[in-house]
Amino acid sequence: MAELSDDIFFATIPELNTKLKEKVFSAADLVRAFAQRLEKLGPRYNALALPLTEQAIRRAHEVDKELKRERYRGPLQGIPYGAKDLLAWAGQPTTWGARPYAEQKFDYSATVLEKLNKTGAVLVGKLAMVELAGGGGYRSAAASMFGPGLNPWDRTRWSGGSSSGSASAVAAGLVPFAIGSETSGSILTPSAFCGVTGLRPTYGLVSRHGAMALSWTMDKLGPLCRSAEDCGLVLEVIAGGDSKDPGSAGKSFYYTPQYYRTPNQMRIGYAPVDFAEWAQPSARPAFEQALAGIRETGAQLAEIKLPDLPYGLLTGTIISAEGSAIFEPLITSGKVSQLADAKQIAGLKAGLEISAKDYLKAMRIRTLAQQKIRGLFADLDLLLTPSRFGPAPKASEPLDRRPGDQPKPKDPGLSSLIPAGNLAGLPALSLPCGFADGLPVAIQLVGPAFSENVLLAMGKEFQNRTDWHRKRPKLE
Amino acid sequence: MNAKITRRELAAAALGSAAALPAAPPQSAPEDLDTVAKEQVRKNAEELAKFDLPMSTEPAFQFKA
Repeated sequence: MAELSDDIFFATIPELNTKLKEKVFSAADLVRAFAQRLEKLGPRYNALALPLTEQAIRRAHEVDKELKRERYRGPLQGIPYGAKDLLAWAGQPTTWGARPYAEQKFDYSATVLEKLNKTGAVLVGKLAMVELAGGGGYRSAAASMFGPGLNPWDRTRWSGGSSSGSASAVAAGLVPFAIGSETSGSILTPSAFCGVTGLRPTYGLVSRHGAMALSWTMDKLGPLCRSAEDCGLVLEVIAGGDSKDPGSAGKSFYYTPQYYRTPNQMRIGYAPVDFAEWAQPSARPAFEQALAGIRETGAQLAEIKLPDLPYGLLTGTIISAEGSAIFEPLITSGKVSQLADAKQIAGLKAGLEISAKDYLKAMRIRTLAQQKIRGLFADLDLLLTPSRFGPAPKASEPLDRRPGDQPKPKDPGLSSLIPAGNLAGLPALSLPCGFADGLPVAIQLVGPAFSENVLLAMGKEFQNRTDWHRKRPKLE
Repeated sequence: MNAKITRRELAAAALGSAAALPAAPPQSAPEDLDTVAKEQVRKNAEELAKFDLPMSTEPAFQFKA
């Protein structure tokens, strides 16, 4: 077995693919090394839900046989990865991060995992997550049967959620990429806090068949990776129509950013108040530098505001109503009390009391929000704001506490872009852009529906000019 | 860690790591949180009622991005 250097654990997908083709190491060597590292270090961050080492090594040997016959299936062939534990993998436990489902198994696999398997990517483990993806609203980082998601940059800090293990495993070099999910912020937040690049695809672009449902009208699956380019390569594999997902848009995705508008032809909307007032003071220098970096690409920046609508109220009502309807059997059976977070338990129970009238009203205002946000893109290509306004909070502190005594700015700017973008089903890309208090911070770019190549083109250009996405935590 | 680790061993390892953290601050009593959550649903209903929408604005049922 080839001895792999530490650099390999932080290499991008094209770098790993090149070494596999050059036979520097075999797929089995690579998969074994990552799987063992995930098993050894994953528990340190509460990132690991289920190791799949033995079956992964068996699969990698099959991939090696294909490579020997020069049967190439694309850049993910032989690349190990992890998946959030809300995705079914046939015959193996799928816990949804929640104690009541600890023994749950499915006899089929999620479409995304099947697609990755077919292309030769090798699943080395299921990754921890916030219980039920946090649908009831949670107050504590410990809202998971696997314990609080801990940040590889500082284990006293939260990894972010709900795709906690997906982000921390990529950040710590335990997997080259991971699949996560986002209903409202669950890819962008942990990506930002852990310093990895995360892509939330357009609603309907990636099949959710075999994934836990939290909100039928808002759930999306997407990759967390080392770079924007890696996100594009993974998205190309996992995107595509699927008759098993009623929300499927029936569209494919080909990663071809070179055929889209170049960054110096783009017009990007932003709100200065996001960077000057909403951002936590310690993070402002990094965000200002990122803004300057985007400007240096030649993109034209234009000041804008989000249409004045109650985005938080809408996402809260819709996710709560749909989530509580989905988990009605859990709630009415009383098993909901086995969840770890008391606020989440209360939130799920209260969600059953949302009236049809109120849910429909929220969905009607959502239609309005979609129309108005679509209007913003009439003369803009992308929107830009910090992914989160500061670094990861302490894992021991309540998550619903505002940091410090920072006053809430009067101008909302784009501060509601996470709920707004999710309500409208729009794609977003989180890019690491520096550090605050020794922890990563990131910017997010949001584009119109199915504009992933535009987002990735700008992301790639930004990452060609910076090395924040190349930074590695010193693992304790 | 052994490749044949059981889920129980894994959970114990995870809890071990979690225990290294300072204890989380005490949460409100469950009954208080139930009341707070229900009150939030009521407040949200009041906020939603403030919006006047034309009859032609349909809910985003067949949701498409």
